[in-house]
Amino acid sequence: MTEKPMTQDDDARPLAAADRLALIEEQHARVASALDVDERLLYSVWGLAWLIGFAGLYATAGSDPLIDLPHEGAVGALLALLVAAAVLTAVHIARATRGLRGVSSVTGAMYGWTWMLAFAALPVLIASAERLGVSDEALDMLWTTLPGLLVGVLYMVGGALWQDRFQFGLGVWILASTSLGSLAGLPGVYLVLSLAGGGGMLAAAAWFAVRRRRGAAR
Amino acid sequence: MTAQVELDPVIHAQARLKVTTALATLPSGDRLSFPRLQQLLEMTAGNLSTHLRKLEDAGYVAVTKTHQGRTPATYVELTPSGRRAFDDYVAALRQLLTTLPEEAP
Repeated sequence: MTEKPMTQDDDARPLAAADRLALIEEQHARVASALDVDERLLYSVWGLAWLIGFAGLYATAGSDPLIDLPHEGAVGALLALLVAAAVLTAVHIARATRGLRGVSSVTGAMYGWTWMLAFAALPVLIASAERLGVSDEALDMLWTTLPGLLVGVLYMVGGALWQDRFQFGLGVWILASTSLGSLAGLPGVYLVLSLAGGGGMLAAAAWFAVRRRRGAAR
Repeated sequence: MTAQVELDPVIHAQARLKVTTALATLPSGDRLSFPRLQQLLEMTAGNLSTHLRKLEDAGYVAVTKTHQGRTPATYVELTPSGRRAFDDYVAALRQLLTTLPEEAP
């Protein structure tokens, strides 16, 4: 008998059809999960930032606040939470899609820039309103609801881009919470954004977790 | 005996089956950098190159060499015929499973 030379791969080993299908499925799942953007993670992070951040604004607002802490501190905390969520999102997406080029990455990059530029334009618009002599309360309302408007609309656009009805629906929910919440005035709108906005995103994270588990147990 | 089911010999080798599966997982129109593909497949660069060349020769894979700044970058994608070959291969495997009765122990 001749000794078979060792090869780097195990091509020589015959595999039954069932084993091959299993190999294909396993490989497919591995690659898909490595390249996948994890909605559970992103919605959890943003949901927590909104829930905690806006609850802080609500609790420290007004002349007789629920918690006797400086309101400016709560504003700073909300901003820090939002920046942390944005950085985490950017890092996660950059890692997942590393080395990926082509149609979907162009779409993703343009969508990412849309978020960034929209939120870069926002403070400029509000500063212009401030220069016209808008009251502090009106400014607070703008700072609170304009981001909600952007987030709702951008989620809806994202839903349209990736044919994701759930993301579209979440956008509608955020848009509705923000606009109807604004009718509650200050500080009521903070509470609406915390519970309905942040809570809605956390519910979305939970829904994706359930869907993934169901997909895995298929 | 069973009807002869054709299994594409280019894809049939296990390493190339893994490569093809990984590339078929990308949305059509997308390509993946060589290092990332290598990392996902846990193959050596030389081994992956060899298999990619065979897939390229068969017209199943397109390799694009480009530059990012000064560093050369290689991107790999499945061609439409490669995607079709993969789908046919999977369909052939399924057919084998359904036409073959359970092997006697």
